[in-house]
Amino acid sequence: MKKSEQRDLFPGALEMMILRTLKRQPLHGYALVQHIKRTSDDLLQIEEGSLYPALQRLLKEELVKAEWGISATNRRVRIYKLTAAGAKHLERQVSSFEKMLEGITRVLARGES
Amino acid sequence: MNWLKQIFLRRSAYEDLSDEIRQHLDEKIEELVATGMPRKEAAAAARLKFGNVTQVERDGRDVWRWPSLEDFLMDIRFAMRMLRKNPGFTVVAVLTLALGIGANAALFSVIDAVLLRPLPFHDPERLVAVHSVDLKDANMGGESSYPAFLDWRSRTHSFEAMSVWSTMGFTYTGGDQPESVPGAMVSANLFSTLGVSPAIGRCFTQDEDNPASDQLPVILSYEFWQSHFGGDPDVLGRALTLDNQKFNVLGVMPPRFQFPVQRERVEMWITIARDLQGKSAMAGQRGVSYLQVIARLKSGVDIAQAHSDVLLVQDQLNRQYPEDRPRGTTINSESDQISGAMRPVLLILLGAVGFVLLIACANVASLLLARSTVRQREFTLRAALGASRWMIIRQLLTESLLLSMTGGALGLLLAHWATGALVAMAPQTLARTSEIALDFRVLGFAFLVALVTGVLFGIAPAIQASRFDLNSVLGANGRGSSAGPGGVRLRSVLVASQLTIAFVLLTGAGLLLHSFNRLQHVDPGFRADHVLTFLLDVPSERHPGPQRAIFVQQILQATRALPGVKSASAVFGLPLSETQSVFTAAQVEGHPVPPSQRPRVAFRIIESDYFHTMGIPLLQGRTFTARDEQGGPPLAIVNETLARQMFKGENPIGHRIKPGISFGDSDEAPLREIVGVTADVKSGSIGGRIAPEIYAPQTPTDFIGETTIVVRTMNDPEALLPAMRSLVTSMDKDLPLRQVKTLDQYVSGSISEPRFDALLLGIFAALAFVLTTIGLYGVISYSVVQRTREMGIRIALGAQRGSISRMVLREGSLLALSGVGAGLLFSLFAMRLLRGLLAGTGETDPATFIAVPLLLMAVALVASYVPARRATRVDPIVALRCE
Repeated sequence: MKKSEQRDLFPGALEMMILRTLKRQPLHGYALVQHIKRTSDDLLQIEEGSLYPALQRLLKEELVKAEWGISATNRRVRIYKLTAAGAKHLERQVSSFEKMLEGITRVLARGES
Repeated sequence: MNWLKQIFLRRSAYEDLSDEIRQHLDEKIEELVATGMPRKEAAAAARLKFGNVTQVERDGRDVWRWPSLEDFLMDIRFAMRMLRKNPGFTVVAVLTLALGIGANAALFSVIDAVLLRPLPFHDPERLVAVHSVDLKDANMGGESSYPAFLDWRSRTHSFEAMSVWSTMGFTYTGGDQPESVPGAMVSANLFSTLGVSPAIGRCFTQDEDNPASDQLPVILSYEFWQSHFGGDPDVLGRALTLDNQKFNVLGVMPPRFQFPVQRERVEMWITIARDLQGKSAMAGQRGVSYLQVIARLKSGVDIAQAHSDVLLVQDQLNRQYPEDRPRGTTINSESDQISGAMRPVLLILLGAVGFVLLIACANVASLLLARSTVRQREFTLRAALGASRWMIIRQLLTESLLLSMTGGALGLLLAHWATGALVAMAPQTLARTSEIALDFRVLGFAFLVALVTGVLFGIAPAIQASRFDLNSVLGANGRGSSAGPGGVRLRSVLVASQLTIAFVLLTGAGLLLHSFNRLQHVDPGFRADHVLTFLLDVPSERHPGPQRAIFVQQILQATRALPGVKSASAVFGLPLSETQSVFTAAQVEGHPVPPSQRPRVAFRIIESDYFHTMGIPLLQGRTFTARDEQGGPPLAIVNETLARQMFKGENPIGHRIKPGISFGDSDEAPLREIVGVTADVKSGSIGGRIAPEIYAPQTPTDFIGETTIVVRTMNDPEALLPAMRSLVTSMDKDLPLRQVKTLDQYVSGSISEPRFDALLLGIFAALAFVLTTIGLYGVISYSVVQRTREMGIRIALGAQRGSISRMVLREGSLLALSGVGAGLLFSLFAMRLLRGLLAGTGETDPATFIAVPLLLMAVALVASYVPARRATRVDPIVALRCE
């Protein structure tokens, strides 16, 4: 059941959204989730927990880095920052995603007419 | 080095992750509480939103792991835990495998050294042995004469180099005591033919084959140089006294260099020049064939081409010297020459030991199958918790590999010990035993064998174990049909195959043992017990001319006076000794035969008390007397075979015979009057056939200085040795006792190869037999345990206990019958391999072919009887109550 929800996202989509969000500003995990949810107007049903394995993958590939710090609400949190490699990766991902999206849109549009 | 950092920082990454998740949940809860939700509800809602915390943590951690390697390590840890939990099973399995792998590793170390490793010379594939063979008598050795060798060398074109060699014993007098040192006489170019050079000093040069110079050169082995000269480099140019002749030390060979490659190390090399000295020099006569020929093929020339080349030259020689016996030639590679004879038996033994390993594998597989039925619930549980079939197979294979590797390691320990024992009992014919070692090649071999073994015995049980239906196993409250008929069937097939293999091995061992036993009881024709023998080489320098024979007589007289001595005598050409075997063509007076047609006879020179001391019965006529030893008309005693072959029923006594051998100054061999006929003696080998023989009395003229003293004692012959030594030393302080051995040792040495073969195959067969018995017992008793409930029901329904035990027995005997039947069929074919190893026993020897099936059937019945008894004692109430 849980898995089927996730299946709605294609692989790498979550990572892409994380990177995009972090590009604007460094955030900790909870804020990151809330931000993604809010921005998508709750259209995307993301299980909050699924964020963390994705963050670990990004950490391992050194696309983001993390540091313990104090949040605005005065909590001890781990704040994630985009690295230079992460910014470059995001650019590539977004452009290839846009191409894909355009392709899909065209096919769908033709099918309608 | 990023990955390295990651491994070390991993643990803190894990902690960060858990910490972070906790913080996340807290924050969520606080937020929800702030909206007015009760804390308890808020906690639940936060978790719901978050998802499976454990799962997320694991997924997060997985990112940092190396899945395959770490799974593997975890599998190993788990396997170790499983094996520790079942010490009984583990010990049996590991020991079984250790025996199997150890036996294989030990035999491989022998085969590797003897057959596989190239000879330690330059480009050894091009080295060949060239033989001169007697066309009339294929049993004669392949030695060549020096003149024939020179003709081969100069007239052939296929060889880069050609050399001769012959081993000999030197008497080295330079140390505190006279010492007998094994050595070789070689042509000067031998070392360059082999492609080796000395560690210090230089090799012989071509002109050192000529006897012109009065001081001949000698080259020492590294080991002799170390033990006798302390590695002093000043040894070069020093003079050594060998056989009362001075030799100049020219060089020292590198450590471990050995030539010829044989059991007994050779410590020094001299040139053929020594045998070219004097008027009747051995190396000067075309008729005296005593030299081995080794040659190096030109590159690009194969053995067949070289052979036709040599054969052509030999044909010319046969026409050129018609008075000589016509000779042919054969060539084989030097490695074949050295170990070729042992190759078939070593390969047969390797096959046998491989089969033992197969049986061991089958046993362990059988154990694993039995265990996997017991562990069925464990696997089912793991599958229910999400383990894939592959994960279960992988886990089980890890366990079997762990078993086989442990078995392999223990096996190497066994092999280390067994190799020593193998070398100790190896026959003289097994060359290169000094190279046998547990080196990296053997380690690699053992590792590979263990790996293959682990997969071999592990794969079938693993697949079997992973093949189950979740519902049926868990549903049927964990019992019922969980055994699976497949497991039982597979185990039955395994056991039947084990029986087949054990049958074949037992038959092979039975045949060899039977044949060996027969050899052991062959009457050699003399009484071998209580006889001490040693060789004396009486130097003509100190005992000139007729003095030598007189000196030997004096030694014999003094010996007879020693306490504990029954009689003593001397012989040139001791039976079974291989040295001093002299063959010559002979003809009977009045029956002229062309030289090439004359029969070859063995020729021995004996002292008058020889037959009495050796216990050889005289059949006709008389033995020699002390008077015959003074000189007078030449006499002979012949053996029964000669009398039969050359006189065809006529009484040979009084006839005169002429062996083609002369001594002293006379060129013409004398006619000898036959005065007696003795019983035959096995003088070549215990298993071999008997040649015609002539004995001549030892007289001052018929004596060449070299003789073997034989002493019959009342007690242990070896206890006489110290007294004997001091006696000889007191009469000539520079005369060493050489080849000191009892006659019994010669006899057992002559059958050492059949003993080795029979013993090894016997050990392997015994191993196979024991393992098979254990396997059979295991299968039957396991099937009884499995069917406890069935038996209980049968008994409850009124089945007689007798019929239950008969049922189990029937099962066992059916298995045994099928295994034995197949074994019988295979053996009839397989035993043809042994044909060459059997002496006087046919490869379908009925005794063996009756004894082996009976033995196996009997053991099978006993192995099934024990479980059958247990089956009858099944208490129906107990069996049924475990519902």
